[in-house]
Amino acid sequence: MGRRILIVDDHAGFRRSARRILEAHGFDVVGEAEDGASGVALASELQPEVVLLDLQLPDTDGFCVACELRDAGIPAAVVLTSSRDWSDICARGGEAGAVGFIPKDELSGTRLRALVG
Amino acid sequence: MSGALALRRGARWVHHRDVTRPYDALVVSEARTKAIVDSALDCVVTMDSGGRIVEWNPAAERCFGHRGADVIGRELAEVIIPFEMRDAHREGLVRYLATGERRMVGRRIETNAVRADGTEFPVELAITLIDSAGPPLFTGHLRDISERREAEEEVRASRARLVEVADETRRRLERDLHDGAQQRLVGLALDLQLARETVESDPAAARQLLDGAVGGLREAIDELRELARGIHPAVLTTHGLAGALPDLARRCPLDVKLDGLATERLPVAVEATIYFVVSEALTNAAKHSGADAVLVAFDQVDDRVAVEVCDDGSGGASMRAGTGLRGLSDRVSAIGGTFQVRSRHGEGTIIRLELPCEW
Repeated sequence: MGRRILIVDDHAGFRRSARRILEAHGFDVVGEAEDGASGVALASELQPEVVLLDLQLPDTDGFCVACELRDAGIPAAVVLTSSRDWSDICARGGEAGAVGFIPKDELSGTRLRALVG
Repeated sequence: MSGALALRRGARWVHHRDVTRPYDALVVSEARTKAIVDSALDCVVTMDSGGRIVEWNPAAERCFGHRGADVIGRELAEVIIPFEMRDAHREGLVRYLATGERRMVGRRIETNAVRADGTEFPVELAITLIDSAGPPLFTGHLRDISERREAEEEVRASRARLVEVADETRRRLERDLHDGAQQRLVGLALDLQLARETVESDPAAARQLLDGAVGGLREAIDELRELARGIHPAVLTTHGLAGALPDLARRCPLDVKLDGLATERLPVAVEATIYFVVSEALTNAAKHSGADAVLVAFDQVDDRVAVEVCDDGSGGASMRAGTGLRGLSDRVSAIGGTFQVRSRHGEGTIIRLELPCEW
């Protein structure tokens, strides 16, 4: 089985498409969460190896969720994603402990593997 | 009567008049001055060199709520000057009497004054120095500018609200684009990418993805069309209100009747404002009022167009509740129109706007 991944994003359509493409590329999508709070709860319950985390969530932002995951000692590699242009603030992702950023429309198993191995 | 007597009498009469002319003239002049001061719309208040009130006209009585008889002889500072400004006033008077230095005299200034009931209000004030042979007198002409200030404040607040609404509209547009069409297109990009990868290994799966992509694209196109219409309907640009409002009425779930809608074009801003107000009013009626029917009536007289949107709903709408109606009112005011809402509980809601349609 491939690497275990949790998708945290409030758009069901994106979660569906992301799951499809990541599963086709050999990832094991173990869960989906639609906001930051349930993302942190699911990550601590499912212990995924990778968390694909949307930057803008209804209850918080991806940076805060990344910090919470790190502070909670969850060892998952966090990859941030967004359909907005966030390239100028990617540095904040690094500070929050994320391993990288992939624009939503460029998501693929190859891009993800390049970041999380 | 002899000629000499007549002459004498005439001479005496002439002589008498000569002696009394300055006195007559003074009486007439004083009477005229008093009439002017008494009928002046502005408050006229005169202070002597000791700072005491010596003149207090009827306008001052009305404005300040003090009768002249009660304040003549009292210190002006104690009667109309706000507490924290009294010392500066007294020092200014002492300085003038000692050095002749005038800081307030001869200028038009805006300051505050106090009414009999203790309330402070803004005034425009001009002080004239009456420098006669004796000690000087100071006459102040004061005008209550509370209403002007309130109107200025309302214009400022209304402008600020319009800017806020414009900002909020842009934020909502970004959100709608981001959450709607953009997410669909992102999903499509991923699905098409997967279809390309699987077209040879699993053509059936690829075809399914492509079918889904076509459906998703149609939905994105519909969403963008709706969004564009919401920003500014193309039919309003091409055909004016006569083209756009029937379309709006058809889309409303209520029974909407348009009455008196003329086909002549109006200025762009007037058409856009009427469209926007009618659109909001119909949305409100459908969402909140429980109405079944709405009448949108137009009336154009000379250079003004009046529009009334009347629903048969529950009423109770208020300019104070929420920002919707206030926003409409601001928008109408911004192009020189008037906006009224009548919405008693149980009697439906009438929104009436009047706009100048020739600039």
